[in-house]
Amino acid sequence: MSNENVMKGAMGTQLLLLSVVVLVISFGFAMMSIMSQGHASFNTNSNIPWGQPIATYLYFALASSGLGMIAALPLVFGFKQFYPIVKRAIFLAFIILISGMAVLAMELGHVFRMLWVIPFNMQIQSAMFWMGVFYVADLLFLLWKMQKMDAGDWDSKTSKQIAIGSFLAVLLASGNLALIFGMMSMRPFWFDGLLPIYFYLTAVASGLAALVFFTYLSHGFSRNKMSQPLQDLMNGALPKLFAAVLGGTLLFIAVRAITGVYTNNPEIYLVWRDYLFASPVYQASLWLGILLPFVLMLSKSLRNQPGTQMLVAVLVFGGLFAERFYFVVGGQVVPLFKGTWEWDLIQYSPSATEWALTFMGSALLFTLYLLGEKVLNLSAMPPAQK
Amino acid sequence: MAKWGMVIDLDKCTGCQACTTACAMENNTLPGESWQDVLYYHEGSYPSAQMKWLPRPCMQCENPSCVHVCPTRATYKDMDAGGIVFVDWNKCIGCKYCMIACPYGVRFYADEKPLLEPDLRDIFPGQKGQLWSPPYQNPEEDWTRGIGVQPKGVVSKCTFCHHKVSKAPPGTPDLDEDNPALKEYVPACVRTCAPKARYFGDLDNPDSNVNRLIGDKHGVRLKDSSGNKPQVYYLGAGAGVPAFQPKPRS
Repeated sequence: MSNENVMKGAMGTQLLLLSVVVLVISFGFAMMSIMSQGHASFNTNSNIPWGQPIATYLYFALASSGLGMIAALPLVFGFKQFYPIVKRAIFLAFIILISGMAVLAMELGHVFRMLWVIPFNMQIQSAMFWMGVFYVADLLFLLWKMQKMDAGDWDSKTSKQIAIGSFLAVLLASGNLALIFGMMSMRPFWFDGLLPIYFYLTAVASGLAALVFFTYLSHGFSRNKMSQPLQDLMNGALPKLFAAVLGGTLLFIAVRAITGVYTNNPEIYLVWRDYLFASPVYQASLWLGILLPFVLMLSKSLRNQPGTQMLVAVLVFGGLFAERFYFVVGGQVVPLFKGTWEWDLIQYSPSATEWALTFMGSALLFTLYLLGEKVLNLSAMPPAQK
Repeated sequence: MAKWGMVIDLDKCTGCQACTTACAMENNTLPGESWQDVLYYHEGSYPSAQMKWLPRPCMQCENPSCVHVCPTRATYKDMDAGGIVFVDWNKCIGCKYCMIACPYGVRFYADEKPLLEPDLRDIFPGQKGQLWSPPYQNPEEDWTRGIGVQPKGVVSKCTFCHHKVSKAPPGTPDLDEDNPALKEYVPACVRTCAPKARYFGDLDNPDSNVNRLIGDKHGVRLKDSSGNKPQVYYLGAGAGVPAFQPKPRS
């Protein structure tokens, strides 16, 4: 195996320093704003309680779940051609979830109180209670699996049981996360029993984008530096899977949009017509962030090219982040029981503090990733696959 | 124990907002943190255009979706306190899921940008954990029921003036502000209502005036399709809420 991991060298150190600087600045700015102004430093309010920090958490949590599902392909279902990316996928799933949780922690009113009131009060009726349970289980299984792989234990019975447990935790965590929105009948834009399927699809799409981007980054954006099994994967199953999940994502968005625009219910069709489709950012994210990558990945000659794959990964990053943002905010823009005090769709755009939290989460992800590349061998795979 | 309910007669309500003001004074709420509000709607167009208004406290639902979603049991329905839905500020983590799940939009996160300038929180900075400390405060305070001035980072809501109604003699069918023996126990919004459009009493007592009014005058609950079953009933014309319409585009 050619372990040409450029992140172990000087380039990795420079990127690590840059990430730490961005992390310190963004965390420092957000912390100072929150300490001095409280949540008045956010542009959320009692009409739009959930804004960009929640969308960022959702984006990170689902990208983590998507990576967990991709890792299950070789570890649970026996698709051995995915072994070259599995350790990096598990590691990325772990650190992306940590980054998302860090953003969520800064958004809550009392984060430390959460640590005792949730376990001591056991409100099992709440989907948010189960979100805590499933994502903690997910995190622990990822850590356990990572430890096993790092110790070279790929195929023991325990290792396989952990992989199955991890996959189930991922399904429960991301499916339940969808239901936090999907069970809210008083918010018709979200109310949808099939939302977990949509979340699974988009989770895998964002997980693949992260995996492609970070795999290329660790190899200096050069496929020649990758091991042969990894090159084979990048030329074969992975881009095909990427195309398939992007197609599924588009199909799901189309079905939701068509039923949404068709209905007479103003709390649904107005959101699609006057908020999502009226926004140039949403339009750009849909056409350039999801449709264009899908078209590029449909072409056999294009989808195997490193440049195309990196471009698609970056476009999907942006496209799905916007998708999460417009999904979270879209469920709240129709004013709920406000009379003519709110005589239009509610306007919301994130504040500097909210943007700082998004940058903080991203910088934390990069920092942890670069540390992982330096300390761990994320390109490792079972000896039989080399 | 009583099951406290409110009846609001829209044929009597003049939309004067005295209830809103009394609530704000009683509970020391910030501008925009309108536990009680009168909402104005218009519906239709000339020559049959209507102007509607709707006083809106917390509905203290029998089947409250806010309680179901709260991950910490900070929001709870206390059947020993007349079925009022409270927020325990010692348990609330400020996740705001209850605000998402309330179909009536009656929950507030006052740790937000001020509705009006100057910001009263700057003029009367919070002391002893309070979000703000106005010089004249209701001495009643119980953070386990969300009564008083809230701390930072929690959700607040109407408590049906529990600090008043809980002191009423047991078995009282109705809390009528015209009865001198009971007037101190009447919720602020009911007591101040000049046209006497509000009634407050025990929905479990078959002899209560609120039950008689609901039965005789065809009381309705708002958004009954939500299944939340409010303990607030409306009488008279105009109890429906018009569907949302966006501002006309030029």
